[in-house]
Amino acid sequence: MSDAPAVTTEPLLTADGVTLRFGGVRALTDVSFEVRPRELFAVIGPNGAGKTSIFNCLNAVYRPQQGRIRFDGHELVGARPGQTARWGIGRTFQNLGLFANLDVIANLMLGRHLHMRTGFLAGMAWWGRAKREEIEQRRRCEEIVELLELQRHRHAHVGSLPYGIQKRIELGRALAMEPKLLLLDEPVAGMNVEETEDMARYILEIQEQLGLAMILVEHDMHMVMDIADRVMVLDFGQVIATGAPADVQHDQRVIEAYLGQAS
Amino acid sequence: MTTTAPPDASTTTASRRTTTRTIEPTTLPGLLVRNALEKPDAVALRKKHLGVWKQYSWGDYLDRAVRVGCGLLELGVDAGDKVAIQAENRPAWLFADLGLQGIGAVTVGIYPTSPAAEVEYLLAHSESVVLFAEDEEQLDKALEVRHKLPNLRTIVVIDPRGVKQLDDPMIMTFAELEELGSRRDPDGWFARAAERNADEIGVIVYTSGTTGPPKGAMLRQSNLLAVGQSLGDTFGEVSDRDEVLSYLPLCHIAERLFSIIDALTVGWVVNFGEGGESFVNDLREVQPTVFLGVPRVWEKMLAGVQIRLSDASRLKRANARFWLERGRRLAAKRMRGGLSPVDRVVAALGWLFLYRSVREKLGMSRVKVALSGAAPIAPQVLEFFWSIGVPVREGYGQTENTAMATLTPVGDVRLGTVGTPLPGVEVKIADDGEILTRSPGVFAGYFKNDEATADTVDADGWLHTGDVGHLDEDGHLAITDRKKDIIITAGGKNISPSEIENKLKVSPYVREAIVVGDKRKYLVALIGIEPDTVGDWATRRRVTFTTYRDLTERPEVHELIREVVDAVNHELAQVETLKSFALIPKELDQEEGELTATQKVKRAAIAREYGDLIESLYA
Repeated sequence: MSDAPAVTTEPLLTADGVTLRFGGVRALTDVSFEVRPRELFAVIGPNGAGKTSIFNCLNAVYRPQQGRIRFDGHELVGARPGQTARWGIGRTFQNLGLFANLDVIANLMLGRHLHMRTGFLAGMAWWGRAKREEIEQRRRCEEIVELLELQRHRHAHVGSLPYGIQKRIELGRALAMEPKLLLLDEPVAGMNVEETEDMARYILEIQEQLGLAMILVEHDMHMVMDIADRVMVLDFGQVIATGAPADVQHDQRVIEAYLGQAS
Repeated sequence: MTTTAPPDASTTTASRRTTTRTIEPTTLPGLLVRNALEKPDAVALRKKHLGVWKQYSWGDYLDRAVRVGCGLLELGVDAGDKVAIQAENRPAWLFADLGLQGIGAVTVGIYPTSPAAEVEYLLAHSESVVLFAEDEEQLDKALEVRHKLPNLRTIVVIDPRGVKQLDDPMIMTFAELEELGSRRDPDGWFARAAERNADEIGVIVYTSGTTGPPKGAMLRQSNLLAVGQSLGDTFGEVSDRDEVLSYLPLCHIAERLFSIIDALTVGWVVNFGEGGESFVNDLREVQPTVFLGVPRVWEKMLAGVQIRLSDASRLKRANARFWLERGRRLAAKRMRGGLSPVDRVVAALGWLFLYRSVREKLGMSRVKVALSGAAPIAPQVLEFFWSIGVPVREGYGQTENTAMATLTPVGDVRLGTVGTPLPGVEVKIADDGEILTRSPGVFAGYFKNDEATADTVDADGWLHTGDVGHLDEDGHLAITDRKKDIIITAGGKNISPSEIENKLKVSPYVREAIVVGDKRKYLVALIGIEPDTVGDWATRRRVTFTTYRDLTERPEVHELIREVVDAVNHELAQVETLKSFALIPKELDQEEGELTATQKVKRAAIAREYGDLIESLYA
């Protein structure tokens, strides 16, 4: 896996000196990192280390007091959350963000909302361009159904499906946006071993087949070390190490801060 | 999203090059050419891709097969060369199969579930020069072992998504092979296809074998066509308006009969669904008119109905109980020959109240020819399907006679028998009880194994099946067991373990049963539970469990299976009763050598692996 990212290419995302404060609490202090095209970049750290804060900065939900975040020619600091989605940042949530009473296809189609051009009236008439567009959008959704092997559940209500499948559908919903960068917030939280292995396989397949860059926040250390190209370790809002999984694992500060406690 | 579509996902062929050349329809490629000439635009195949059913006409089918065949000629493949295919059922499988047989090459099918070591054995033993590998997963297996395969020259990947080794000189995609083939004059293929004759070997089918390494049964074109004809005649009113769903492994002779051979002789439409977990949905959408199932498939369907019923309201359950009871009486009459006018009224009412909806949900609403084969099926399962008006007929045969021996006749079904010989088949019982068959389906021998061939086919052309059984006064064949599986207890009694095992497997809670007792004082059984039904049962009783293993260790589950065993013991003679049993702590798996590719239990492997468990039952 480590040979996957091409080192010569421009980074897709560059965070430079990002500092985020809530009153007197420093959630992030001078955090800098790069994510390259096609790279699977993991962020790990103990509870409260600032992992989700980083996601919220990338999504423009939080606005850091200092620092710059460049993504694909856009400045994310100061943008509005909707804009980041339009620029190509998709995400999944720790707690599922799905419509439980809609079927799988409808949930995926919602993810394609950004790419729909039809106006309200034309949509009502479902004629001409509106019809062609819906067929095209549906085809895109079917590609995701195939990639994530959701065929069997196509018309099942999402709320009636097992948790592991719902997580997969949520991943599909994020993919339906056709993001350039996908943020995965604890994709295997609460999953059993088998479901975790499945999810890891799908993430790798997305990287291979779609060539997406991904940032992964995860507690499951085995999974992170197995599939990530590079890992950044946070502790109390500060970066204590960034590098290949094998190197990070042997970093003394990381062992003290995190892995040491865990094992 | 930029994903390249697999080569058999699109039916738009750039240029149709259908020929006017006729070829004697005495081989499978000959039949394909005949069909493409007679009805070039009629639907031959359907494939569900991205949620939509796509069609291929007979003209498309031939065109694609010719391209593949020409591509292989470009690669230097010659008559008599072996070409292997390891893929799930899909149109490309058929294009490759017919295309390569047209140039006189021989197809070797490999189960998609076969692990790398088995792939190595089959490719090495068959001396295959080209391998069609479905996708990244299958390619990885081949790449792991290719350095040990001097004969293997090219690997053709059908679906190249995610494959990183495409610049490897040994690897090409299916689309590239077709492109290569389309640059060559198709007449080359037709000329070679015209040279083929019925005595040539068309395919080698490796028998999974519950003991020893797989053996390669060589089947002539004449074997394949004889069985296609015989079955087509037996089914009666089948035509090109019929539909089948292709879902059992195509490298097995049974699915080959339905998806390829009889599709070519009868001309029915072959549907390829999304497979795997989606099988149930596929079946419901296709609603095939001709359906072949192995016992496991029929059992699963029945178990599904039972689970749904236990979830249904009281009224619905009462309705189902009432009509299933009526159905049982109808089933008995149907098996004996027919329904009286009164029965027909009952059947019509039952259709309204129950049978129609059950059959629609199972995907069986249009079935007129239904078959079970490859292993014995429990009479209770058969009875259920006859009750709802699906006349499942049991067939008997083996790879070595191209799956052609006996089939239960429609109006005279005797439970516990596998019916009467098919047209053109002779059946007799040898002095030691072994079943012998002779027919135009008897194979040409095992590839590179004359000794085994001589043991199997005698000088008079009789095939020794290795099964023990007897014929009743009207020529219905009943099978006792595999000759080598017969248990002789310490007391000297001959016992057929599979008879007892099948009685156990009638229970929806039992998936596998292995009866042990050779040279022992009494019989015991290892039982594998059916996780779906037992899991459902446990959940309803608020018995908590985490994994399969945990489920097998619950005392409640042990008690549940004990009841099943006790019930079966009641039906058995004293020496046949099971004195003890144990639950197998894991699901049996092909990868670990416990099951064959056709999901048959390998007794020797189980006896070895669970030796301690067995000993504990005798302690």
